[in-house]
Amino acid sequence: MIFFFLALMSLSVEAATSGTSQPMGDYPRVATVDWTLVETLMSLGVVPVASAQIKDYQAWVAEPALPESVVDIGLRGQPNRELAASLNLDLILISPLFSAIEPTLSQIAPVQTLTTYNPENNFWQNLVDTTRQVGKLTNRSAEAEAVIDHHRLRISRLKKHITEGTPSLLVVQFIDDRHVRAYGKGSLYDMVINRLGLQNAWKGQTNMWGYTTVGIEKLTTQGYLVIVDPIPMSAEGVFEDNKLWQALPAVRSDRVLSMPAVWSFGALPSAVRFAEELYQALSEQRAIESDSSTL
Amino acid sequence: MIQLNRWVSPAYVCLPLAIISIVITFNLIQSTLPDLSYRSFNFSVEFSTSEATEMSKAVIQFSVLPRITIALLVGAALGLAGVLMQQVLRNPIASPTTLGVASGAQLGLLLATLFAPGLLAFGSEWVALAGGAISLLLVLSLSWHRGLAPVAVVLAGLVVNLYIGALSTVLILFHQEEFRGLMIWAAGSLAQNSWSDTLHLLPRLVIAVILAGLIARPLSLLELDESGARSLGISVRKLRLVGLGLSVFITASAVSLVGIVGFVGLAAPVIVKLMGARSLAQRLLWAPVFGGLLLLTTDLFLLQYSAQLPSMVPTGAMTGLLGAPLLLWLIPRLALKGSAPNTSTMPFQLTSKPNPRMFAWFLALLLISSIVALFVTRSAAGWVLTDTGQWEAIANWRLPRVLAAAGAGILLALAGATIQRMTANPMASPEVLGISSGTAVGLILTIYFSSNITVPLLIVSGAASAFITLAVLIFLNRRTGFQSERLLLTGIAIAALFEPLRSIFLANGDPRIQQVVAWMSGSTYYVDFSSGLSAFLLAVVMVSLTPLVARWLDLLPLGRNVALGLGLSVDKVRLVLLVLVAILTALATLIVGPLSFAGLLAPHVARMLGLSKALPHLIGSAIVGALLMISADWLGRQVLFPQEIPAGLIASLLGGSYFIWGLRRY
Repeated sequence: MIFFFLALMSLSVEAATSGTSQPMGDYPRVATVDWTLVETLMSLGVVPVASAQIKDYQAWVAEPALPESVVDIGLRGQPNRELAASLNLDLILISPLFSAIEPTLSQIAPVQTLTTYNPENNFWQNLVDTTRQVGKLTNRSAEAEAVIDHHRLRISRLKKHITEGTPSLLVVQFIDDRHVRAYGKGSLYDMVINRLGLQNAWKGQTNMWGYTTVGIEKLTTQGYLVIVDPIPMSAEGVFEDNKLWQALPAVRSDRVLSMPAVWSFGALPSAVRFAEELYQALSEQRAIESDSSTL
Repeated sequence: MIQLNRWVSPAYVCLPLAIISIVITFNLIQSTLPDLSYRSFNFSVEFSTSEATEMSKAVIQFSVLPRITIALLVGAALGLAGVLMQQVLRNPIASPTTLGVASGAQLGLLLATLFAPGLLAFGSEWVALAGGAISLLLVLSLSWHRGLAPVAVVLAGLVVNLYIGALSTVLILFHQEEFRGLMIWAAGSLAQNSWSDTLHLLPRLVIAVILAGLIARPLSLLELDESGARSLGISVRKLRLVGLGLSVFITASAVSLVGIVGFVGLAAPVIVKLMGARSLAQRLLWAPVFGGLLLLTTDLFLLQYSAQLPSMVPTGAMTGLLGAPLLLWLIPRLALKGSAPNTSTMPFQLTSKPNPRMFAWFLALLLISSIVALFVTRSAAGWVLTDTGQWEAIANWRLPRVLAAAGAGILLALAGATIQRMTANPMASPEVLGISSGTAVGLILTIYFSSNITVPLLIVSGAASAFITLAVLIFLNRRTGFQSERLLLTGIAIAALFEPLRSIFLANGDPRIQQVVAWMSGSTYYVDFSSGLSAFLLAVVMVSLTPLVARWLDLLPLGRNVALGLGLSVDKVRLVLLVLVAILTALATLIVGPLSFAGLLAPHVARMLGLSKALPHLIGSAIVGALLMISADWLGRQVLFPQEIPAGLIASLLGGSYFIWGLRRY
């Protein structure tokens, strides 16, 4: 029931936003090298004129898909300026990560730097602020508010359906057969988990982007162990016959959740997508658990 | 009594390491096993006691103990490989990495990840072994016709390393996300989660030790000169091949499991030798023991304290970082008797007259390449010849880069020619002095610790670190009068700081890495018109100053005594030249980054063209350097359009190919 409702919700908003994305010209010709900002732009129905490393974007961010018309201007850290200059841009958006190219890009078009990853502030608020700023810069303020409300609503609806007393979550991505990235404070995943009223089990130190690289022996959680795709080929052997893996409490008690890929440095749409996928994984897990308890 | 002393004296360094290791291990196990310590397990709030005990037992059994074992085994393997290599090459600073085995293995894994992931499922160790073996074969075939003479082998290894490094960097630059796992491997993490690595390495190590024992006697005769060894009925060439092959095999087996572990293969043999293990048999015994303990102690320290760090610091990179200062301390204590670069390979004083027509040809080429670089480009619509109507695009985007490329090429070529003549070593180059690496280290640290990176900040910190590096170079070499071998060794030690830092950065998958890698690869991207123009003008000024140092550079290659006899105050001149080279290199590094093949290649090309007197050699190098960098910058902008490959990488690839072709007959 809830899934049907969610699907309906998302349909109606997509209709609302896609309707506004048709006419070119009511928003500026904008380019960005930052994938988080690409995602934000697309969520507002603004198709960027150009973006960087589009092939890699399609592999790692995937959603929302970029139309064919978007021009690839090369590497994120060193976009091709001559090509960019030939595109008659009105606006270039970057994140502080790329501040070194700000002076040179500003010769092409006005450059705006938007900060999404700032460990000092509340992450959700960062995402909201970024969306608002992007909306303001692209004459899409109304859409921005709609998108923010829509995403907020979706997450709070999901939150209501989360079972009381759900165990804490340890979210990891496999790097190879010996190492994982554990996501803690300051990461997108952590923010979503907290927003859903759940507990993140990773309390260790993290870097500026909210993750740290550890060996699998550190994954001693009594709660759920959440593995986010993609799993590199070199790591696949771990699940079959690794004694240490099998000794992990979460593995021994069948509390490992598997989730499809969600861009770990994403914006609002990624956050909501993660929330939905997580909710689904938790529901499936609950179904399995109740099955086995009735047996 | 003395004999006995010699055999046991390395124990004085091994014993403390062993004790430290045991204490930390005990500590670790105590804090992991609740029923040993009666302390509450960290996670005991959530765990039942039996579950906690079960888990901590598994951690000790399948993580801690295999990790300790693999540290000992890998350290021993690298120590053994190092002894063999140093013995075979009769070179006290030879190590497995010198021959390109590690970088070859890495390139093999990078290529397999991208193009044949199926191979990795079959077994990544075989891919690494193949990569390492191929690059070794390349090194050996390049030096084969010179009878695998030590200098020629190391030379070829250096070139192959640079070449493979450039290829790997291109791949890393464009496929950052795919290589997350490999970057950890490249930094050498000893994390274990089963005994399979131990079971893999142990039999190989045992076989290698037995084989090394079998060839120890004939190998020890290599310490005599070659004819002496030959007169005793030994095929020197075969013996060397067997020794090297064994060394590479054991390196590849170890490295393919845990990744690149820097420095142990170099340090272990050198330190046990300093501690009194003089004969080969003694070194073969003690270097693996010491290597194993060295790696284990480093790893245990990291295991103990790494939880407090937000970034992962892999052990292999850590040994590299620790190794650099230790190497700096060791250099004055190394006996370098037989290892001076062979000056007979430097035909600096050929009397051939420089051909003015050749200069004209090269200037014409330089002009043509500049015009092409300014006016011809690829665009979204294909190749276009920009006419002067689009002057704005040319002035904004291309002119600064051409100027900067030319300027950097000239500065580096002058630095390279000077250092090559000064040290009478054709393989000396600005990066060998460590100035560019020192600058890069400063810049990496700046980027790592500041959240808002601006260009002026980078320039200030780059310049500051260049001069700190120079101060270290001068301080460490002031007593020895800036002797060439020690100077080069100091530079290599400083340069050794750079690679591990880069590895740590890459291993943590820091999102800022792409920019750092791009800059480190020698990019003219960040240059604006005023800095491009000043780089070029600076370079022109430097060229016009070359007559001032020409006489010194004519006399220095003749050797210290001859130069002294001709009235040159050698030590003072060397200091002045060193400062000069440092300034040239630092300037070029700030413009295009530390990867500067131009400084090695341009003087070489100039000399191969017959320019052997100092002044024509310097000026010829400058022209070749400018030509190389301008073409590299232009090619880098076109080849993968719209993506841009940094000029330094293209220069390395072009230069490397030329070098490998040229070395065949060299």
